Amino acid sequence: MKRRSVEAEARIENLKRFGACLAGGFVLALMVGTQEGTQQDFGYAFRQSVAMPRILIFLGIGVLLYLAITFGPRAKPYLTRPGLRPLGAGVLTVIISLTLLKWTDSPQINTGKFRPLADAAAPTQALDSLARLWFGSAFSQTAWLLLIIVTVLAAAGMIRRSAPLSYAAAILAGVLGIWAEYASAAVSKFLHYPSHATGGAVAMLGFFTIAVASLVSARSQAAEADTDGFIDRVLGWRPGLALVVLGFAVGLVGVFNAAWFSPGDRNATLSTTASMFGATNLNGFAQTYLDWLGFVLFFVTLVVAGVASYLRHRLLAYAAIVLGLVSTLLTLVVVHDFSALGGKQGFDGAQGAWDNLGTGAWMTCAALSLFAGAGYLVLKDLRIEAKGVRAGSDIVGSGTAGARGQVAAATMLVVIIAALFYPPTATEFWQTVLVSEIGIYVLLAIGLNVVVGWAGLLDLGFIAFYAIGSYTTAYFTGRLPVQPPDWLLLSPLACIPFAIAACLIAGVALGFPTLRLRGDYLAIVTLGFGEIIRVIANNANGFTNGPRGAFNIPAPQIHLGPIHLTWGDSALGFWYLLLVLIAIIVLLFNRLENSRLGRAWAAIREDEVAAQATGINTRNVKLLAFAIGASTSGVAGVFFASQVGSFTPENFVLNNSILVVAYVVFGGMGSLPGAMAGAAVLTWLPEFLKDQVPAEDRQMWIGALILVMMIFRPAGLIPARRRKAELSGLDRPSSAEATAVPAGEGM
Amino acid sequence: MRTRPLAKLAAVGVIGALALTGCGSSKDDNGSGGLSGGGGSKDSNATYTIAFEGPLSGDNQQLGINEVNGVQLAIDQANKDTSLGFKLKLLKADDGGVPEKAPAAAAQVLQDSTVMGVVGPSFSGASQAVGKKYGDAGLTIVNPSASNGELQDQGFKTWHRVMPNDFAEGPAAADWLAKKAKKVIVVSDKSAYGDGVAKAVSDELKKKGVSVINQAADQTTTKDYGPIAQTVKQSGADALFYAGYDAQGAQFAKALKSVGYNGIRMSGNGVKSDVFVQGAKADGEGWYMSCGCQDATVAPAAKDFASAYQAMFNTPPSTYSPEAFDAANIVIQAIKTAKESGTVTRQAVNDAVSKIDYKGITADIKFAANGDLPPGEGTVNLFQVKGGKIVSLGDITQAP
Amino acid sequence: MHPVQDFLNFLILGLTRGSLYALIALGYTLVYGVLQLINFAHSEVFMSGAFGSYLVVNSVVEDGSRPPWYGVLAVIILGLTSGGLVGAGVAWCLERVAYRPLRRRGAPKLAFLISAIGASFFLSQLFGKLFNRLNNNNFPSFFDQNKHVVQIGGVYITLMQAIIMVSALIMMVFLDSLVSRTKLGRSIRAVAEDAPTAALMGVNIDKTISRTFVIGGFLGGAAGYLYGSALFFSNTMGFIPGVKAFAAAVLGGIGNIRGAMLGGLLLGVVEATVPTAPWYKPGWIGIEWTDVVAFLVLVLVLVVRPTGILGERLGRAA
Repeated sequence: MKRRSVEAEARIENLKRFGACLAGGFVLALMVGTQEGTQQDFGYAFRQSVAMPRILIFLGIGVLLYLAITFGPRAKPYLTRPGLRPLGAGVLTVIISLTLLKWTDSPQINTGKFRPLADAAAPTQALDSLARLWFGSAFSQTAWLLLIIVTVLAAAGMIRRSAPLSYAAAILAGVLGIWAEYASAAVSKFLHYPSHATGGAVAMLGFFTIAVASLVSARSQAAEADTDGFIDRVLGWRPGLALVVLGFAVGLVGVFNAAWFSPGDRNATLSTTASMFGATNLNGFAQTYLDWLGFVLFFVTLVVAGVASYLRHRLLAYAAIVLGLVSTLLTLVVVHDFSALGGKQGFDGAQGAWDNLGTGAWMTCAALSLFAGAGYLVLKDLRIEAKGVRAGSDIVGSGTAGARGQVAAATMLVVIIAALFYPPTATEFWQTVLVSEIGIYVLLAIGLNVVVGWAGLLDLGFIAFYAIGSYTTAYFTGRLPVQPPDWLLLSPLACIPFAIAACLIAGVALGFPTLRLRGDYLAIVTLGFGEIIRVIANNANGFTNGPRGAFNIPAPQIHLGPIHLTWGDSALGFWYLLLVLIAIIVLLFNRLENSRLGRAWAAIREDEVAAQATGINTRNVKLLAFAIGASTSGVAGVFFASQVGSFTPENFVLNNSILVVAYVVFGGMGSLPGAMAGAAVLTWLPEFLKDQVPAEDRQMWIGALILVMMIFRPAGLIPARRRKAELSGLDRPSSAEATAVPAGEGM
Repeated sequence: MRTRPLAKLAAVGVIGALALTGCGSSKDDNGSGGLSGGGGSKDSNATYTIAFEGPLSGDNQQLGINEVNGVQLAIDQANKDTSLGFKLKLLKADDGGVPEKAPAAAAQVLQDSTVMGVVGPSFSGASQAVGKKYGDAGLTIVNPSASNGELQDQGFKTWHRVMPNDFAEGPAAADWLAKKAKKVIVVSDKSAYGDGVAKAVSDELKKKGVSVINQAADQTTTKDYGPIAQTVKQSGADALFYAGYDAQGAQFAKALKSVGYNGIRMSGNGVKSDVFVQGAKADGEGWYMSCGCQDATVAPAAKDFASAYQAMFNTPPSTYSPEAFDAANIVIQAIKTAKESGTVTRQAVNDAVSKIDYKGITADIKFAANGDLPPGEGTVNLFQVKGGKIVSLGDITQAP
Repeated sequence: MHPVQDFLNFLILGLTRGSLYALIALGYTLVYGVLQLINFAHSEVFMSGAFGSYLVVNSVVEDGSRPPWYGVLAVIILGLTSGGLVGAGVAWCLERVAYRPLRRRGAPKLAFLISAIGASFFLSQLFGKLFNRLNNNNFPSFFDQNKHVVQIGGVYITLMQAIIMVSALIMMVFLDSLVSRTKLGRSIRAVAEDAPTAALMGVNIDKTISRTFVIGGFLGGAAGYLYGSALFFSNTMGFIPGVKAFAAAVLGGIGNIRGAMLGGLLLGVVEATVPTAPWYKPGWIGIEWTDVVAFLVLVLVLVVRPTGILGERLGRAA
């Protein structure tokens, strides 16, 4: 065989790449092409998708991709300029907002997206003229035009390293951000339609990101971006200050602008609400709060938290925590009181407390909790510093947030606060999705993460335990053809121990004979187990009611002394119950990961023989992983059964087991936040895609996304530290390993 | 901990965005004012939405598509009718056919204030999960296919069903079979529908003193009907009743032909569609079907429906397409009634649906107080595949 | 009733089903042999073979036409090759897109599984979108599939069953000799045995892996044609036979070619004969329990022999 010259090799390589890019464009053409052929004409959709002028566009995309790959490296020095990546992110965010997101929920606008809204809003004379201008009353596509201008300006400022240009871009972007949100709010107000649509706010966020990017670029002297260092410096400069600023922004809107009470089309802000209830017999404290105490509490807490984090003062930090939490509670009490009053009077169809609320109260609560969180971060920082002094470590005074776990802790706090206070402001649809899909699968992913992520056992039948939990609940609440004795009929929550026990037994029963199998053998056996459980559920009509499933399972209730809690139709109530369950399980598992058992799992995962040699009883340890994972799944089953109230064996098909594995790996195997994020993203995505692509095609896009994600980020969304180290090798021994040891991980 | 800072920034940003969203949420139902000057529910050009809830993804996708096509056709035809005085839109809510996803689908439907009626949910399990929710919101449900014989007794306030339930159709078929055969093998497809029908049929057959063998072939996992067909043949039964759907029925018919089974082959409403005839081709000849519906070759409306459906979707109407078409038309007529007698509200539409007397392509439809067809209403007809067509043999109690 | 005769009829059904399982299982086992990975997307290779061959066969013959026997034979061979080629093409793309980039990055093993699952969702829905999502597409019928070619008493083999078994047998024999006799087979075995050493000996690992995918894809695609013309085809047809064939491969000893053949046949026979047993022994289980029986047999075999009936290792097949 003739040896090819180096140039020839390169040329062939180049041609191959070109071909691959064209093929990519071709596939994309098929993916966004016509739907389905017919039995008579199979190739119909195919021909439509690759029809002549159309295909050229997609092949063009392929060519562009090729050019980008080929000439990308030459642009590298420019691409690493400070601010350019955030600029890209900001522009992308705005583009997403303008193309994919809803700008209004009103059914008047077909999809609620920007384009149709703008078409309708621009010629509407009665609309606020500034908003009309944004929607293109003067010249069409104003928003897009402005986006292009600001992008060009900002990019020019960065590439030419010209501070004036950057400042101009920053100012323009800031103005545009406010304008976008203003226009969106004006439309809501004009339509008198309560809007939960995120379009305007996300556009604002995108523009603000562009503004920040431009500012960074104008102020930066470095030739190359050090985003890590930048974030470390910002967050590490004064711990908690970022949260205070965020809380300030959220709270300002909450206290002054957002609606607290919105029966009918009266979107009443805090002060309007106060005057609305002025003449009623609202109790004195609530009225005081509405009148002035609310504002005072907000500003006092803001100041205390701000000063505490600026001065890094221990006592003030404690004060911020106490003030923040107490005023959050007070706010909730007040909201309950006045909405209950409104409910009692049947104000605009209100059923009781917590009806007809706007977003304002929740934003205020979020802000107050953020201040408390800032106090916590200050304390944490002080504690680490004290430790550092004792250990003589050099992290003292280095001021890096990363080294002190500030980034992780702050992110976690924000996520928790969002989980607490975002759902009440969402639409009923998203609340339901949050509970019955996202939340439950997050719980399942947490459970499976123990088995797959930590112990490294591939379990493809995980849903079986979920089924066992569900059927146990149905049995003990008396909803199966076989009934428990009367004295054993339980409320759903009381079924949790039984479900856990049932799943433990099933887990051990499955694990005992099979756990000596390795890897892929175990996978097929667990897969079989999952199928067996489903087939039994479907066929054993006398026990499980067969394919008709169980129904009318009661909602959970708690009666403990004076406490009476019942759950009913509102998805929101279930969300908080689920949050409690998830929190308990995450706290337990978080301890587990670094316990003796957790280390044993890691050892088995990495090398079973070596683990055995070091004296680990591999069978028992594996069995424990199985049983713990299974019982989590059982808890999810209990919750699911009593929340939805009815289920059939179809809920427990093999595909769902595979999906849970996909969630865990997608999020980052062995990383608890990763598994949760993976499940949340992949269960959220189909519901989001509903508005973007034909419903039938969603799985195709999700499949493509999983594929691309695994190619470019094989360790997952939030990789486990250990895995990350494995992948990136030893050349980045990194602060990661250093911080893994002290208690600073917080997640 | 050094992770990608950009991702972190984005996470913080998105959460911020979500927290900032929306100013004021209320339960306002009538959007006053309007962008394009129109709007307002009393306007003569008002647009109402009919929602369809059913499986548009997952294993039972095809059934959902059959139904949503029927609804789409009804809406398109209504929109061509200018005398109606309003326009209609279709909202597709995908519940995957499972109870788990039904609440979210229902929430999606309920939060759109222009939705005046729901066609669906396609499956009994999903119906169980959301029947109360729709009822509490006063939104009328006209169900085209959830055939579970227990649904009508759940006390759902706005629930209606346009087809006879499992317990109505099965016994009629069994009575006919009992006249023909001494030993019958009943094959369930293990779907909620098939299982219910199989139980109804075999209970009735046993009552008549016919010896019954129960078998099942899970429609979601059985792809090769060879063994079950061989079982049928070797059981020595003179008749087979298949309780399942059309596509699988066609597979089964082919397999039965291949093993040379020559007894009476019968099935219920689930198989009575052109999909069966086209799938099984010659192997489907001679199959009997019982159905609480009218003869499509006689009723002109049904014929028109079939050709319009074929023209629009390039495929013949399949299981439950006609029922869904009827259900959608019932909602449309109810909206019209409500409009004529005042305002169109969900409650008014529901009241109109409850009182409706509608001549549909499957049957003349009225609803009893529990939302089901009144007992004894509508005859069950017997059909047979002859010469590649499904022909009616008339009332099953009179049939030869 | 004649118990033996009944059993033999079920056995033939089982052997037919088992031959298809074996053909698909070979795809799993070949890939497992060289990569130690379960190719979860192989079920979609199988599916694409059915669609590809349909497009070709449907353009050659009409439904209801009755060509002479050599015409029938030619069309069947055309169907097998076109299905095989499409399957091989899809498998090649799959390796390029879903496996090679991950291999280059040294991704953890499960990442391959997930990327394959992603590819599987993608392919199945893309085919559904491009062609249709009906669940009962049929090949044109151009010969009498139910003609009894062999009949001894009440036991018979139909033409379609014979075609499936014979063509599966031919392909398996061909594969076996390909792997044990040719240079390509040697390199496949070498990579399966010890990839780094094979690389040192001058075997091009990437090319060998690619070719292994292509061979497995060809068999899977051809099986797709046979399955589609005997039963039906649809965009979701791959999942269940894929899972079963994977089980069959494990049953025989994954990575072992003869094991996959044996496992496939065994699983098919167990599925067809055990649950249907009431007709030669009353009071037994029913067909709806087929999957339970199949997986219980698998578990039992694995408990006794943890690496399958014939054990692992592609190298040992020679």
